[in-house]
Amino acid sequence: MSEASLIGLLFATVSFGALLYLAALGELIAEKAGILNLGVEGMMAIGAVTAFIAGVEFQNPWVALIIAMLSGALLASVHGFFTVGLGAEQVVSGLSLTILGLGLAAYLGKDYVGLPPGAELVPVEWGGLSNLPWVGPILFSQAPIVYLALLLGIAASLVLSSTRLGLALRAAGESASSTDSAGHSVLGLRLSAVAAGGALAGASGAYLTLSITPQWAEGVTAGRGWIAVALVIFGAWRPGRVAWGALLFGGTLALKTRLQTFGVDFSPIILSMLPYVLTLLILLMISVRSRKRPSPSPAALGLAYRREER
Amino acid sequence: MAFGIGLAIALFLGTLLLLGAGHDPLRIYSRMFEASLGDPDAWAITLNRAVPLGLAGLAVAIAGSMGLWNIGAEGQIMAGAIAAAWVARIGGDWPGFALITAMLIAAIGGGGLLAVGPAVARAKLGVNEIITTLMLNEVAIRLVQWLVHGPWKDPDSFNFPLAPMLPDQARLPTLFSRAHFGLLIAAAVIVMASVAVRYTAWGYELRIAGSSGATARYSGISLPKKVLTVLVLSGAVAGLAGGVELAGTADRLTETISNGFGFAGIIVAALALMRPSGVAAVALLFGAVQIGGQSIQTLGVSSSVSTILQAFVLFGAIGAGVFSRYRLSLDGGSHSIPEKAKS
Repeated sequence: MSEASLIGLLFATVSFGALLYLAALGELIAEKAGILNLGVEGMMAIGAVTAFIAGVEFQNPWVALIIAMLSGALLASVHGFFTVGLGAEQVVSGLSLTILGLGLAAYLGKDYVGLPPGAELVPVEWGGLSNLPWVGPILFSQAPIVYLALLLGIAASLVLSSTRLGLALRAAGESASSTDSAGHSVLGLRLSAVAAGGALAGASGAYLTLSITPQWAEGVTAGRGWIAVALVIFGAWRPGRVAWGALLFGGTLALKTRLQTFGVDFSPIILSMLPYVLTLLILLMISVRSRKRPSPSPAALGLAYRREER
Repeated sequence: MAFGIGLAIALFLGTLLLLGAGHDPLRIYSRMFEASLGDPDAWAITLNRAVPLGLAGLAVAIAGSMGLWNIGAEGQIMAGAIAAAWVARIGGDWPGFALITAMLIAAIGGGGLLAVGPAVARAKLGVNEIITTLMLNEVAIRLVQWLVHGPWKDPDSFNFPLAPMLPDQARLPTLFSRAHFGLLIAAAVIVMASVAVRYTAWGYELRIAGSSGATARYSGISLPKKVLTVLVLSGAVAGLAGGVELAGTADRLTETISNGFGFAGIIVAALALMRPSGVAAVALLFGAVQIGGQSIQTLGVSSSVSTILQAFVLFGAIGAGVFSRYRLSLDGGSHSIPEKAKS
C-alpha cells in the first residue's frame, strides 16, 4: 500500500465521516427531544437533489447548501406535523417520510440527471497547515462543510449539555409532561428539534452532490441515512461519541471502494455490513451494562405526548 | 376506513401533482385502474403483488398485536428467499411437490432465524427491537447482494448480479392468468393467524400483553416467552413471504427480491390497525396502487410519481387514523392507544 493511497483512504474516511456525522447529529437532536425520525434517508435525498438543482440554477454552493438545509427542515416538518402535532406513530410516519423524500427527490431531479454541477464546495486552503505531511492532505484539505460539521457538533454538544434550551430539549425527550409543567412548550421544542434534524440531514445530502460526487442520480444516498440512524445508537446519544463512530463508519465506506486497489481479497459488500453489526454489538453491550447504569436512550423516545392523556 | 380516507386525500394531492407536471389526471387514474384491476390479467398481477405485501403486513401485525415493532420484515424476506433459493440449489432434482414444500419450510426457517437475535435481545435484555431489526435488514440485504454478485452468480447472466433461474419444478403453479399459488398460501396463513390472535387463549394473552404489560404480568402471562415466540413467528411469516415471492414471481434470487415489501408491510399493518384480519384488504389495495403506479410510466409519467402517490396515501391514512381516534374519544368512549408491552 503506497503512501498516497493510504492518504487517500484517510482523506475519504474524514469526508465520509463528516457526511455521516451531519445526518447523525440531526437525528441525535430529534431523538434527544423524544422524536425518532426514520426518514433520514429521504431527507438526505431531498438535501442532495435541492442542493444540486440550486447549484445549477444559482451557481453558488453556499446558496445551494442553505436551500438544501431549508428543504430538509421542511420535509422533516411533515414528520413533525404528524408525530408531534397529531401524535401519530413515529415509526410509520418516519418510514413514510423516507418514501416521500426518495420519491420527491427523484421527481424533482429527473431533468438534472447527468448534468455537470453548477457549483461545488471547493476544499479550504489553510496555508502552511495544508502543506504539512500527512495531516495537511488528510485534515486540512477538506471541503468547508467538513469543518462546519465539526463546529456544529461542538455547538450541539455545548447547547445540549449546558444551556437552558438544551436542558429543556433533553427534558422533552425524557419526560414530556414534567417539561410541560415546567412551562416549556413540548410542542415547540420537539417541532424545532425535528426541523433542525432535517436541516442537518439536508446539509449531509448537499455535501454529497456539492462535493463528494458532484452530480445527481437517483439513489445517490445509497442507504447512508440508515447508517446515520445506527450511529446515534452506536454513539449512545452523545455528540462526541457519535463523532468517533462517524469516523469509524466513514472508514468502512472509504475502504469499501478501495479494497481491490489495496489488493485485499475480501468482498466490499461483506465489509459494508460492518457498521450495522458493530451497532448491534454496541447495543447489546449498552443493555447488558445498563442493568447497573441507566440506559443512555432518552426515556420518552418514540412516545407521543398528548396533554389530555398525561 | 383510514385507508379509504388516505386514498381520497392521496388522489386529491396526486391530482395537484399531476396537473402541476402537465398531465391529465383522469387519464392517468383510469390507466392506473385498468392496469391493476381492469381485467383478470391485471387482477393476477395485482394479486401477485398483494401476496408478499399481505404476508409482510401480517408479520408486522402479529408483532404489533403485542405492541412490538418488527421493522425487520425486509431483511427477513431476504433471509427467507435466500434459504428457499439454497434448497432449490441442492434439491434441483427432487420431485416438484417435495422441493417446493422444502423451499417454503426453509423460507419460514430463514426468516425466523433472522428474528431470533432481536427476539432474544428484547425478551432477555429489553433491547429495543425497532433498532435491532432495522440493523439486521441492512445485513440481510448485503448478504443477498454478496450472494448474487459472488458465489451464487449465474455464469450465463452476462455479468448481471443474478442467481441462476430456479428449476421448473421449483416454481409455484399458477391459478389463473399469471396469479400463482402463493395467493392461497397467503390467504390460508392470514386466516389462521387472524383466528389465532382473535379467538384463541394464546391470542387473547397476546393482546392483553400488548395493551398493558402490567396486567399481563399480574395474570401470570410470561412476557419474555411471549415476546420471544411472537417476534420469531413474525420473522417466520416474513420469511415465508420471501420464499413465496421467489418461487411464485421472481423465479431467481436477485438483489431486489424484496423490493421494499418489508417496509411496505409495516405500512400495510399500520393501516390495518395491527389487526391480522385487516391485512388482506389493505394489501390488495396497496398492491393495486403499486401496480397501477408502475403502469403509468408508459404514459410518460415518471415512476417517482407513483412513489410520491404511495407516500401521499400513507400520510393521508396516518392523518385519518389519528382523527378517527379523536372522534372516538369525543363520543365519550374511553380508548387506549396500545402501550408498548413493558417487559
